[in-house]
Amino acid sequence: MDLSIAQRESRLGWRFIAPSVGVIGLLIIYPILYNIYLSFFDVKLTGDKLFIGLANYQRLLSDAAFYGAAITTVLYLVGTVVGSTIIGLMVALLMNMTFPFRNLVRTLILLPYFAPVISVVFGWQFIFDPVNGIYNHLVVDVLKISSSRHSLIGNPNSALGVVILFDIWKHFPLSYMLIISKLQSINKDQYEAAAMDGCGPIGRFVHVTLPELYFVLGTLMLLRMIWNLNKFEDVFLLAPNVETLPIFTYYAAFTGIIDQGFAASISVVQFGVLALLIYFYVKKVLKW
Amino acid sequence: MAGIRLENINKKFGKTEVLHQVNLEIGDGEFVVLVGPSGCGKSTLLRLVAGLEDITAGNIFIGDALMNRIEPQHRNIAMVFQNYALYPHKNVRENIIFGLKRAHAPKDVIESRLSKVVNILGLEDFLARKPAQLSGGQRQRVAMGRALVRDAKVFLFDEPLSNLDAKLRNQMRSEIRRIHREYQTTSVYVTHDQVEAMTLGERVVVIRDGYIEQQGTPMEIYLHPDNIFVATFIGAPSMNILDARLFDGYVELEGCKLVMENGTPGQHRELPKTGLPVKLGIRPDFFIDRRHAGDGEALAVIHNARIDLIEPLGFDKELDVQIGSQLMKVRLDLRTQATEGDTIDLCVDMRRTHLFDIDTGQRLQ
Ligand SMILES: Nc1ncnc2c1ncn2[C@@H]1O[C@H](COP(=O)(O)OP(=O)(O)OP(=O)(O)O)[C@@H](O)[C@H]1O
Ligand SMILES: [Mg+2]
Repeated sequence: MDLSIAQRESRLGWRFIAPSVGVIGLLIIYPILYNIYLSFFDVKLTGDKLFIGLANYQRLLSDAAFYGAAITTVLYLVGTVVGSTIIGLMVALLMNMTFPFRNLVRTLILLPYFAPVISVVFGWQFIFDPVNGIYNHLVVDVLKISSSRHSLIGNPNSALGVVILFDIWKHFPLSYMLIISKLQSINKDQYEAAAMDGCGPIGRFVHVTLPELYFVLGTLMLLRMIWNLNKFEDVFLLAPNVETLPIFTYYAAFTGIIDQGFAASISVVQFGVLALLIYFYVKKVLKW
Repeated sequence: MAGIRLENINKKFGKTEVLHQVNLEIGDGEFVVLVGPSGCGKSTLLRLVAGLEDITAGNIFIGDALMNRIEPQHRNIAMVFQNYALYPHKNVRENIIFGLKRAHAPKDVIESRLSKVVNILGLEDFLARKPAQLSGGQRQRVAMGRALVRDAKVFLFDEPLSNLDAKLRNQMRSEIRRIHREYQTTSVYVTHDQVEAMTLGERVVVIRDGYIEQQGTPMEIYLHPDNIFVATFIGAPSMNILDARLFDGYVELEGCKLVMENGTPGQHRELPKTGLPVKLGIRPDFFIDRRHAGDGEALAVIHNARIDLIEPLGFDKELDVQIGSQLMKVRLDLRTQATEGDTIDLCVDMRRTHLFDIDTGQRLQ
């Protein structure tokens, strides 16, 4: 048989990647399918399964706690994704200027991203500790903004804020890194042309920098959205009382009356929403 | 509109000084062309006027206002960049009108100026394209349009036609002339191209290594170059610079006695004219085949020039000829019948030749 070079190359390519495609398929597709399958059953602790149709979904959609978790998740997502992107952008713009010790500062900025979650979580819990924490010391004793001490992490409402702050602090270095690498590749003459066209610093930012950063920012926000919709340890370790969907699922699946079928239905819903979200985002924002 | 005045401009990049004590005055509405070899500082000079570089020392005035510390966006200058510098995310139309929009020009003004420029530059079919979808020459035309559309005090052009084919370049040259005649905007134009310099410039400024070598009208520069550099840089093919000796009333070139008529440069020098070594400059275009020289003309004759090579150019023939040990380029019209290897007698009007000091390269008056 006479194959063109391109055809032969693509055949060879398929042969190379076939094993990994197989493994990945099993590792990713199988759990997802199994999850969907499980969500139609009432799973007993003994392992027996009883087909119950859409009952798990009915229960989920009439559960007020689910909607609460959904709202918390949306707040968490918006806060962390927007927050870490904006902070990352601002720091990148700053670090793109020249000043003494810039290289040292650039490296130090990456620290939160390197640090292991478990250790920095303790640090943060200490900061907000109601008795010995720095936060209460500052607010109550030094600045005297408030007369009483608060447990910001103890209260689920303010704990959400702390969890968001923590995520921004931990993950803005990633945004910063991606953004600054793009910033450095923007051609200087575009800024000069914009200056000749009458743009000041803000005009140049809007008309040159932002369009150049558009896809980096878009991709960054997409990645962060996906990661954070499934984020568990950062939230759970710092403030277990903040119930985003993954944590809500965890409580449903592994605590109290353990109900795997119900938990599976939550994941399926979450997965469906995520898939839709990504689909529209990729189409509209990234224009793939 | 406004004139430009550069006073004692110095520009250093780090330790290297690329412009030295540049003084230049450009009148309101004047069209000045800067020419010079690559790396001589032409773009740098433009960028200083635009405010894209800080001057190291000296003053820049536009109109009567001192510009040294004024940001480029406040100078109201339009510029065509050597490497186009188009906005990659905007289409051609948006690229062109961006400056007008920033200046809050009314919609109808924007539209009428846009359509005029687009028409002149032949960009009608490309308005919706992004710069990446254009050829180099098309991009250059967009860059040109972006400047011409503006109602700026000063236009700066950095080799704006370098990427166009010969036909389009001729056409654009005429258009630039027409536009300048209409708007009378003070313009500074950088080019390598002789023809552009000669045809566009009301004044030509020749720069070498960050110094202004000479400035004047194109014909002044062409007919009375101040030194060998200017003489050879302006005009194509380049002026022949030959080793000769200056005697009382004549120049001796490879054994030929070239008598200087009244009006020959260097004729009346009070120097010991006993064989002073000089450089003799003769443009290739100013030779005449002796067989076709008119009778009445007072011409000096170079005998027995040997023809090494003939390049027919259509109306003209370009010859490499050898006299003694020296080579020259000669341009004769198509009547010349001589072939390669022949010898030929060449006539030259000594009033159109130039004598230069052998050491300094400066013109001998
Ligand atoms: N940012 C810079 N840093 C250091 N040196 C520079 C810088 N810009 C230009 N130069 C130097 O200054 C000199 C003049 O450069 P310039 O770009 O003005 O030349 P030019 O006359 O426009 O040449 P060309 O005709 O090739 O465009 C060159 O020697 C160049 O290497
Ligand atoms: Mg240049």
